[in-house]
Amino acid sequence: MSESAEILEQRIGRLRAAVREAVLAADKARASALRRELKQAEQAWEDALDQAEALPSPGTTQPGGPETAPSPLIPLREQIYQALSLLTVPAAPKLLATVHEAFFASTFPTAKVTSLKRDEERSFRTAPFARPYYICAALTADLLAPARGLLAASTWPMERRVIGPLSPRVDFLSAAIQVAGAIGRLPTPVPAASRLLWRFAASIPGAAQDATRMDPRNVAEAAVAELSVHRAADSETRQAAAVRARARLDDAEQLFGTRLAAADQRRGR
Amino acid sequence: MTGTNTEARLARLRGRALPVRHNARTIAALASNPGCARRAVLDAAGADKQRLAAYAGFPAPFGSSRFAITRGNAFEAQVKASGAAELLRLLREHLSLPIPEASYDDLGEVGGHAGLELRHARTRSLLARAVTQPAEAGTMFDHPLLTLQVGGRAAYLEPDLIAFQVNGRFRVIEIKSFAIIDGRGDSDKVAAAAIQSAVYVLALRQALAGLGIGPEAVADETILVCPENFASRPVVASLDVRKQLTVLRRQLSRLARIEDLLAELPPGLTFDLDADEAGVPRRRPAGLAGALRQVEARYAPDCLNTCEMCLFCRDEARGDTASLGRDARDELGGVEQVATVLRLARAGAVPPPGSELAEAADLLRTAARLRAEALGEAV
Repeated sequence: MSESAEILEQRIGRLRAAVREAVLAADKARASALRRELKQAEQAWEDALDQAEALPSPGTTQPGGPETAPSPLIPLREQIYQALSLLTVPAAPKLLATVHEAFFASTFPTAKVTSLKRDEERSFRTAPFARPYYICAALTADLLAPARGLLAASTWPMERRVIGPLSPRVDFLSAAIQVAGAIGRLPTPVPAASRLLWRFAASIPGAAQDATRMDPRNVAEAAVAELSVHRAADSETRQAAAVRARARLDDAEQLFGTRLAAADQRRGR
Repeated sequence: MTGTNTEARLARLRGRALPVRHNARTIAALASNPGCARRAVLDAAGADKQRLAAYAGFPAPFGSSRFAITRGNAFEAQVKASGAAELLRLLREHLSLPIPEASYDDLGEVGGHAGLELRHARTRSLLARAVTQPAEAGTMFDHPLLTLQVGGRAAYLEPDLIAFQVNGRFRVIEIKSFAIIDGRGDSDKVAAAAIQSAVYVLALRQALAGLGIGPEAVADETILVCPENFASRPVVASLDVRKQLTVLRRQLSRLARIEDLLAELPPGLTFDLDADEAGVPRRRPAGLAGALRQVEARYAPDCLNTCEMCLFCRDEARGDTASLGRDARDELGGVEQVATVLRLARAGAVPPPGSELAEAADLLRTAARLRAEALGEAV
């Protein structure tokens, strides 16, 4: 894998030099032909990297269990996927970084997430479904546009990735239940994990008195209790939006959302 | 039509510069000195006061600190994270918001676009839905976009958050990053927040009036969210903004009657800087200062907190009793010049009995005598 990427790098270097010579010689036809070739080589290089990234240990990889990835330097997209898989709901990069820190002992800079999202979309559009999963957008239930500042996993059903008015609260409570469960499974809770749980517990009625006397089971129970109030209304909105999204949007739009202008054109068609 | 005349007149005053948009802060500043014609005219014309003051030789001593803005944004993001979870807790504790009321609509972007027109339209439709179908009203509206007519021009306003269904009424929520320590905030900052909230209340009422809903749908009490003590944990406080609303309404109606103020100004007056292609002003600073002096100002020490023209006006008002503050001016019997006050007090010039100044002169002389006696000086 890395060998072919290296060969490609050498080829890209040679092509760049050739393009420069052609441009300086004012040979337009040759320059544009070389440029095309260069672009193809660069794309091939990107794909080679993506493949190397998606398959850390070829032959034994199982897409469902990325938590077991042994590599000490996990790529950003996998860190995000790990955190998303733990929370099971769309979340903001900052929360994902905190979750990763609490349960996987490493955090990541949230500033890089924007470019990751763009890369994921580009990768999907060039080779759809080539990867086992994509980090994609959550969609607003009304206009099916990408929801501001939320990430989701492409492996989730559409119902989970659309965001209605009550969904932020429902997702917050679901995430609290997941985090409480994950802490319950730890032999000794780490401080970062307890801090994370307190951030949830503080905003859930009846979850905990204070940060020092906090039982993960109580937090989960309180979250379940409030969840039962919102769930019916929320899932109704989400079901309806998901049906709409599946009917109206193409594959890429289902993952990365549609912009308003595009939605209007579709309606007009 | 007087309307188009006024528009043309204001455009001439502004010159070729682009009009400066109003925001809640500038509208709030209007209310702090309702009697000032200079501010009213410059604001109505959308003139860039900061630039004018600087060019006339009196740059304003304030601006936005990058650190303050970053801190403010970080605190707001914290309060609004995860569907405004922290805010929801505060609203539940402070206003007993019912548990089912937890819905959250983000109006900061519509369909992936952040265009003002689009967001305004969406805000209006959500407000209409909230009123017509209370069952699907929604609870929190994040960054709705409202408009307010200021001097005949629509200003876009963006409250931090509007909550609905808190006891069946809309409430404006303002998130500020100054700390409330031991239950007390900095009084100037709280006052500024109150008047900004009042601007939003007014804008929200106007938006609802357009949908045929009375002003009682918006609560007079707004909610201020600030960090508590020295941590970043948020706390809420209610602000009664009825007084600020009255002042604002009066000031805005004055702006609407800007024709009367314009009628007193010389017809050829302009604040144009006569910039060349590179944007470098060619007008002489003294000429601009002269033009600015044509419009009457009413300087008060409060202006230093709110108005970009403050140093210019203060320099002009030197020697006026008004520059000592409203209280001092009243104490001095409403006499305009400090020099006159001193002359009257020294009993040098005795005004004719029965004239306006006679009473003031009596009081001032008494005050001077008391001071002399207290200090043991001869009068």
